[in-house]
Amino acid sequence: MPPLLETRGLGKDYGSLCALAGLDLEVEEGEIFGLLGPNGAGKTTAISMMCGVVTPSRGTARVDGLDVARQPLSARRLIGLVPQDLALYEELSAVQNLGFFGGLYGLHGAQLSGRIDWALELAGLRERSREPVARYSGGMKRRLNLVAGLLHRPRLVILDEPTVGVDPQSRNHIFATIRALCTEHGMTVLYTSHYMEEVELLCRRVGILDRGALIACSTVDDLVARHGGDEVVVRKANLESVFLALTGHRLRDEA
Amino acid sequence: MIGAAIRKEIQLVLRDRGTLISLFVMPLVFMGVLGSMFTGRQEKHAPRPIAVHLEPGSTRAAAAVRAIEQSGLFRAREEASAERVRRAVAAEEVVAGIVFPPDFDPLAGRPGELVIDTAAPPEVRGPIEGALGGLVARSLAGVELPPVLVAKSPPGIKPAVAEASPFQLYVPGSSVLFGFFLALTVGISFVHERRSGTFRRLLAAPVRRPLVLVAKLVPYYLVGLAQMAFLFGLGVVAFGMEVGGSPLALAVLTGAVVFAAVSLGLFIASFGGTERQVGAIGSVCLLVMGLLGGCMVPRAIMPASMQKFGLFTPHAWALDGYYDVLVRAGTGLTDIALPVAAVAAFGLAFALVGALRFDFER
Repeated sequence: MPPLLETRGLGKDYGSLCALAGLDLEVEEGEIFGLLGPNGAGKTTAISMMCGVVTPSRGTARVDGLDVARQPLSARRLIGLVPQDLALYEELSAVQNLGFFGGLYGLHGAQLSGRIDWALELAGLRERSREPVARYSGGMKRRLNLVAGLLHRPRLVILDEPTVGVDPQSRNHIFATIRALCTEHGMTVLYTSHYMEEVELLCRRVGILDRGALIACSTVDDLVARHGGDEVVVRKANLESVFLALTGHRLRDEA
Repeated sequence: MIGAAIRKEIQLVLRDRGTLISLFVMPLVFMGVLGSMFTGRQEKHAPRPIAVHLEPGSTRAAAAVRAIEQSGLFRAREEASAERVRRAVAAEEVVAGIVFPPDFDPLAGRPGELVIDTAAPPEVRGPIEGALGGLVARSLAGVELPPVLVAKSPPGIKPAVAEASPFQLYVPGSSVLFGFFLALTVGISFVHERRSGTFRRLLAAPVRRPLVLVAKLVPYYLVGLAQMAFLFGLGVVAFGMEVGGSPLALAVLTGAVVFAAVSLGLFIASFGGTERQVGAIGSVCLLVMGLLGGCMVPRAIMPASMQKFGLFTPHAWALDGYYDVLVRAGTGLTDIALPVAAVAAFGLAFALVGALRFDFER
């Protein structure tokens, strides 16, 4: 079966700065794929090109065979982006936010109402759905941010650090939602996070980006076996030790 | 998609008290204050008091005072001495005074003394000096002279409506000034959308990029039309402003003005920056444009060079058009074709440059 998401030599330059050199990646239909990398590694740039927000300097990104740059409208219909920022209108209620984002994908009338009900249920926000989002807690906003990208039932969901700043309850709720997206709705998830344990928990396969290049891509078990180093002997190696072994221990402050 | 965008932006505007106040309340305050200031000065043509002193038995001076009284422009307030006249003017009890010498005879080289603040601006001093001089000169003829000049508009220029009030200047002045402040609201809305990340969601949706801009601008165009309809409506109902010309011409001109304001918002947004930068720099630019364009001080009383300079702003063209539609009886759409075209051209230029400069991926 061909991969749902496929990038070939996908790269982006900002002037003389190479943000992403040339990414070759394949994400299979129905899987939760983890994309890791330190700050400034090129994760957000890669995601932005995959969903058509940023135009690539070179290479291609295809979703279900559709070139995101050449067939942007058809390709974007298949993608649901959940940005790292809380991309919501805080003055509006959850229902109003979802109504607008659903409208962007051509949903209206009874279909839109049904999808809004479904999304509110999924986010656990039904009871406070008419309140302005500004009154929500951080976890509630994160859950709404997540479901706002799912209204049109995309085949590929791109989650850019969806659990930043949330409490364990909301994080668990988000995890359960992501698993349900795959198992119950057949969606494919590309998941980025700084939290290694999250990726280890959710994803079978992981790609590690560093300095604009994909330096490792395999199953979590394979990466731990190959790059866990001495920690395998001392204590059970995990994805974090692999990540640090591959990307180094120095601080990464570049944007 | 446009429908969803209109609904969303209008919901946001309705929840933003600051925007509502700046778009709907501030112009009212401005037009109320400015219009009332100048209405108060006219007091519906009440004669202005003038202090006069004349010696008993001076027939020429008495005739001059009679002529001043009969003009309906001034009311002569007789003072006991020349010194009292000068003190009254110095104390600003009256705007001017006349001291007639005992042997008042201008033809023999013995003129009266016009007591007036010679440092007053020419536009204040000139009409008073001219009117009083003319009245006194006519009184010297000794007979009732027929009118020597009759005012008539030249062909192609429509006459004024009978009761043109200062509000006919200051309602459009304030409406245009604050109507263009919509550009700030639009510019800040783009910046806010980028900062909050919602713009990424818009770009990730299956919508063409030009349509993203249109979907942001159309709702504000409707808000702008509502704002202008509210302000002009209130001008008519609350301030008694008359519309001397065609309502269609007024509507078309207003449509062009709002188009230019919204396009200016896109132009501002194309420069990027933070909300604070856009708010601070944009409001100063809009105030200067409004000042040059005659929103606060009519261009007609500006020096000729400033009047021409003002034409580099859409405000000036808009106010020229509004002046004709509101003040000149029977003005139709064709009569204001030039101002409408000029304002629309500004709008088109702002929109084109804004759209070309707009960096979606910033």
